[in-house]
Amino acid sequence: VKTDRRSLLGGAAVGLGVSLLPFSVNGQTVALSPADARKQGADFKSLTPGEVRTLEAFAEVLLPGAREEGVAHFVDHHISNEPADSLLMIRYMDVPPPYAPFYKAGLAALDAHAKRTTGKLFTALDAGEATELVRLISAAPPAEWQGPPSPLFYFVVRSDAVDVVYGTEKGFERLGIPYMPHLLPETKW
Amino acid sequence: VVADDPVDVVIVGAGAAGSIYAAVLAEAGRSVRVLESGPSWELGSLISSQIWARRLKWGGPPVEFRGDRPGFSHNLNTGWGLGGAALHHYATWPRLHEEAFRVRSLYDRGLDWPFGYEELRPWYDRLQEDVGISGDAAQEIWRPAAATPYPMPPIKQFAQARILAEGFAKLGLPTAPLPVAITSVEYKDRAACVYDGWCDAGCPVLALANPLVVHQPQAIAAGARFDALSTVLRVRAASKAQAAGVDYAAPDGSVRFQPARVVVLAASVIQNPRILLNSRNADWPDGPGNAQGRLGRNLMMDGLAGAYGLFDAPTENHMGVSAGQLTNRVRYAGDRTNVPFGSYQWQIAPSLKPNDIFGIAATKGDVFGAPLHDFMERAAKGLASMVSMIEQMPDPANRVLLSDRSDRFGLPLARVEHRVDDELKALWRHCSEEGIAVMRAAGARESWSSPYISGHLAGGTVMGTDPATSVADGLGRLHGLANIVIAGAGLFPSTGGISPTYTLSALALRSASHIAANWSEYA
Repeated sequence: VKTDRRSLLGGAAVGLGVSLLPFSVNGQTVALSPADARKQGADFKSLTPGEVRTLEAFAEVLLPGAREEGVAHFVDHHISNEPADSLLMIRYMDVPPPYAPFYKAGLAALDAHAKRTTGKLFTALDAGEATELVRLISAAPPAEWQGPPSPLFYFVVRSDAVDVVYGTEKGFERLGIPYMPHLLPETKW
Repeated sequence: VVADDPVDVVIVGAGAAGSIYAAVLAEAGRSVRVLESGPSWELGSLISSQIWARRLKWGGPPVEFRGDRPGFSHNLNTGWGLGGAALHHYATWPRLHEEAFRVRSLYDRGLDWPFGYEELRPWYDRLQEDVGISGDAAQEIWRPAAATPYPMPPIKQFAQARILAEGFAKLGLPTAPLPVAITSVEYKDRAACVYDGWCDAGCPVLALANPLVVHQPQAIAAGARFDALSTVLRVRAASKAQAAGVDYAAPDGSVRFQPARVVVLAASVIQNPRILLNSRNADWPDGPGNAQGRLGRNLMMDGLAGAYGLFDAPTENHMGVSAGQLTNRVRYAGDRTNVPFGSYQWQIAPSLKPNDIFGIAATKGDVFGAPLHDFMERAAKGLASMVSMIEQMPDPANRVLLSDRSDRFGLPLARVEHRVDDELKALWRHCSEEGIAVMRAAGARESWSSPYISGHLAGGTVMGTDPATSVADGLGRLHGLANIVIAGAGLFPSTGGISPTYTLSALALRSASHIAANWSEYA
């Protein structure tokens, strides 16, 4: 039997539905993209409000637009999941699961370092200070850094930011390149 | 422990090698059961997204590591579920060079294979037709002798390949179309590739020959049974020289015994030795196949050096296949000057996606903020890239052993001890410099190279004629054991610095055919 591409794409329904992430909004579980989860104020499962603010601020410095695209909801969902179902880049980095402690320790180290060197939390830094701090920690762990190696933490969160901004159909469009899916994720990522 | 009905053959792992064993032995009339630790995937599971592609990589118990980190990368280089690593492999299918089988004899270093290229050649030839390879045998001046040229013409080339080929040519270095197990034309009822570059996410349209496309359907049609979410814990002994079957954790968590006359371990380079080491008992005090303490040793991983260039002309880097469009293969440094010893190949002009580990953003890891948006826009139009894969020589000190920590079944995890020696580092530096020279010769406005990265696991259960220096014989059977057979790249005594799937598939086809034809020797 000749396998025809159209019949396979017709079978794409098999893949539909699985790409929406379940978020809880006002006590109801709904399937949303991370960007919509942020817009609708969906609950976080693992990150505290303070960790969310630091993660959003850090990711926004790494790639402007990541906050609005829901990077914190994206990360929160996938560090709350079974590690084998996680879709984060950290999965490739041979960091032993669970992944939540890695993010929490990295965010705490980032804030502690900002406090130690500037007297302010990371979220309170101005753009120039934040850029300088990120440049420093991305190259090597600074003295007294306590958390996962800072270049690894930088790489992982930068990848998360790139995922939500550029790893989607919208992100491809922004770069002027066609997405060309065989099986399109329903939420355009 | 509840025992299942006995089978002739139990196969541990449903990747490329396990699927070939299942197909050959089921077609020979044997009852075959394949136990796979990861989930069940179907073609419809293969969503076109570099984010969703991550589900196909290792999701099992962690592998503990001690050594030089950039030299070893586990999760990315293994698979999780039906199809194994080959479900997301890029289908680069070169043959191992003749001299890679005789490294010790020719160069007085490394290890020899227990047989030469000619022994494996007919199995390469058969797979080439069964699976389908696209390439140009005449242009591939380094290609070992084969029965026929490739059954399909080379894959289509885009601007990126043309630009980089010119760079190689200016330096006097030849290139040829990359041989890939991807359809360049309709082949055996499989449609031709459309060059959208989603290979890493798993190809759902049958263009790329992953195990769900060729050997698993063949095995299932012949009666083999595949069970996902079934984790083999240990091999059970019938005697010192004979296995009785395997204990496994079923999807409901219960531990069951699968009696089998032959046990094939195709569970990956790391998990095969782990299962054997976890099978220690009164008959096998050090684990089956480990009487000489060689099990787990000579673990190898290729070094990878990426080279990148930004060009004014559009490179069409969103088109093509993940593996690349061209190759340049360099053999051992026997007659080269000023080049450290080792074998390596360039894979040239892979298709690129914006995100993920080999995506556009990762090529410039130090750029962030608004400059990263600027880089993404320029690179999406004019980035060209290539990667060299560089052989690591076997070293007994690089190995798999057991950790002090355990998995959810209470069994020790695998621990890897692995380092990169100075010679490999020197060859890696040579490749990085050569890559930048090619980019400049091709007219790149800006060029740079990657940090040390690694890929392709091999060794740990190496084949050989001498039980004092190897774990398995030339057919993959553990020394001193009648019915435990190892499958996969763990058997390789050398890697040749090339993608392993074609060679491990040829080995699996050869050994499975031997078992089918000589059943009484095993069972």
